[in-house]
Amino acid sequence: MSEAGTMADDGAAIGGGRAHSRARRLSIEGLNKWFGSNHVVKDLSISVEPSEFLVLLGPSGCGKTTALRIIAGLEQADSGQVLLGDTDVTNELPKYRDIAMVFQSYALYPHKTVAENIGFPLKVRGLKPDERAEAVRDAAAQVHMEELLERYPRQLSGGQRQRVALARAIVRRPSAFLMDEPLSNLDAKLRGYMRAELKHMQHELGVTTVYVTHDQVEAMTLAHRVAIMDEGALQQIGTPREVYDNPANLFVAGFMGSPPMNFIRGSIENGRFESGGGVGVPLEGEGVGGGTAAVMGFRPEDAEVADPGTGLFDTTVYAAELTGDVTLVTVALGGDTSLAIKMPKEYDVDFDRNVAVRFPLERGFLFDAASGERLSARFAVPPGAA
Amino acid sequence: MAEIPAPTPAPLPARARARGLRRWFEPARIGQMSRGGSIVVYGLLVLWSAFVLFPFYWLAITSLKLPVDVFDGPSFLPWVDFTPNLHAWADLLDFSAKSPLAETLTPYRNSVIIAFCSTALCVLIGAMAAYALARIEYKPRLGNILVFVVLMVVTAVAVGVYGVDLWIAAAVGGALFVLLARSVGRYFKRSVGNADILFWMISQRILPPVVAVVPIYMMFQKVGMLDTHLAIILTYTVVNLPIVVWLMHDFFASIPIDLEESAQLDGASRLMTFFEIVVPLARAGLAATTLLVLILSWNEYLVALFLSTTQAQTLPILVAGMNGGEKGILWWTMAVVIIIMIIPVIAMALLLQRFISKGILLGAVKG
Repeated sequence: MSEAGTMADDGAAIGGGRAHSRARRLSIEGLNKWFGSNHVVKDLSISVEPSEFLVLLGPSGCGKTTALRIIAGLEQADSGQVLLGDTDVTNELPKYRDIAMVFQSYALYPHKTVAENIGFPLKVRGLKPDERAEAVRDAAAQVHMEELLERYPRQLSGGQRQRVALARAIVRRPSAFLMDEPLSNLDAKLRGYMRAELKHMQHELGVTTVYVTHDQVEAMTLAHRVAIMDEGALQQIGTPREVYDNPANLFVAGFMGSPPMNFIRGSIENGRFESGGGVGVPLEGEGVGGGTAAVMGFRPEDAEVADPGTGLFDTTVYAAELTGDVTLVTVALGGDTSLAIKMPKEYDVDFDRNVAVRFPLERGFLFDAASGERLSARFAVPPGAA
Repeated sequence: MAEIPAPTPAPLPARARARGLRRWFEPARIGQMSRGGSIVVYGLLVLWSAFVLFPFYWLAITSLKLPVDVFDGPSFLPWVDFTPNLHAWADLLDFSAKSPLAETLTPYRNSVIIAFCSTALCVLIGAMAAYALARIEYKPRLGNILVFVVLMVVTAVAVGVYGVDLWIAAAVGGALFVLLARSVGRYFKRSVGNADILFWMISQRILPPVVAVVPIYMMFQKVGMLDTHLAIILTYTVVNLPIVVWLMHDFFASIPIDLEESAQLDGASRLMTFFEIVVPLARAGLAATTLLVLILSWNEYLVALFLSTTQAQTLPILVAGMNGGEKGILWWTMAVVIIIMIIPVIAMALLLQRFISKGILLGAVKG
């Protein structure tokens, strides 16, 4: 029961400086959760290594927040286990779990000053005021808030409130951090800055962290590993590079990247991928027999716009937008398919112009249209192609 | 690739400016009141204030009148219609037994003790009940409630008709209830929720108090507690509990649950969360509710009339009883008593008003 965060334990850890030694493995096994007849978390198993920064990524309503709340103990799992280190905390009350959480809303106590907010976890544990003040100053210094300790939350900006919430989480050196979309209430510029700061702080403290977000940029930049969820189920888990370069299915491919991967629906016929609009590419590998509905995918940054007749297929320009670092060209293909292509920022093109689209075939992906799973078949790269 | 809809043919002209009398009811600038509007609004406010404040004015001048000025027909302006005199107020400082105001001292003390104790008790218990109803989901089975009621009736019949010893009957009834609830109880499907419990509580106020007051009288008579502070305090507490629960439930429900979950993860127990986080955030509601319950207890007449005779008599009973006696009605004395009776409530209102401010939740959850 030493996991329960007894006073002696925490007191020692706070006095003892760096918390690296307290970082623990956090794992969930076979987690299931129903809300009525709604199966929101489906057999979820994830293991977070000590000091790892794991991001749970998925669209809203995919069950990622529910999974986080089960880890925190705010929600009861219908089946499955939550393990912190070697201890089963599945049925432990939240207050005994030694886990700190940063809420999307920050959840600062509005009637308490910054110092009282940060010191609350210590006050609850019965620390003496002078010990408390020292730990609060340390934690506040870590988030650069030592000047504002006497302010109330209402007197702080969004970014400052965020820092107070972080300080309150780190002040007691927990075994694990949980963060529920902590940056989503900040404006874009501040979000970018706080992202870097968060990553730095997690590295510095070395605390096992589970971070929930629907923002794939946050996931890519922050995570050691990303776990992508959809409809309650884990879709893929891996380093940001793995899930980006090697998506396991259509959902992951379509979720990662901004703009996301382009998809062209079609079918596999006699060893070729065929689609309306004159798209036809030979395939190699297993399962190229034919008849199956399939989806071709390629990333906007891999493709380019070329003169008509020189690419994989011809189409017209729907829109061209300069985003600053690139020109984003949208082309129409057939009735309801539009494709995004990133071109250099110098590139300019008239609307409705006839163009061709091409991309290196080894950078293309092929998915089963029905199951969404990645197919082992690949596009045949013609010999001598660049 | 949707078609862009064609623009609407002819743009509408800007709205024409109001003319004539209607201009009086349009503000000259954004954020101002119109001239006509302010005349109407302030006119009504002044009229209503005069209407509401007149009784207080009447009390004040009556307390300054000599008996002859009172009986000479209505006179309104001191120094003009009559000469103010402090004779009734002087009686207040005269503690000799003969003074009519000396009799007010005990009821005054009783009123203070009863009103403040019952209010404190009521708000404490009621707030905790309201918090539980706002945050914990209860699902008592309807069948179990029925079993409880039936067993209670059977117990009452056994005691009343067949003369079974009360304690034995209660113990058997209680034991039977536990057994039945644990065995048969699980087969009952229908259950009631928090909203039903809340409504049941407020429904306790639907019954006119005059119906309940006789049974309450007999109950306290039986246990020999008539004319005690405790009897009236307990009765007021029970009578006002539904109001506290009903009002505080909404205040607690409006506190972001994130704050309480955060406190839980910070390591706080439920009670600590309640007193450290929830109560300070609901203090505006608590202050308003406290004030309301205090006023209700302070002015309560019916229950006090039944439960108190001399020792625990409260001010409303005293004032109501001042209309007799060999000297006739002492209007001037009555006016003084009523004025000093109002003072504590006004003082509490001023004190609590500081807490009834908005924006306490500012900075809690919004970025």
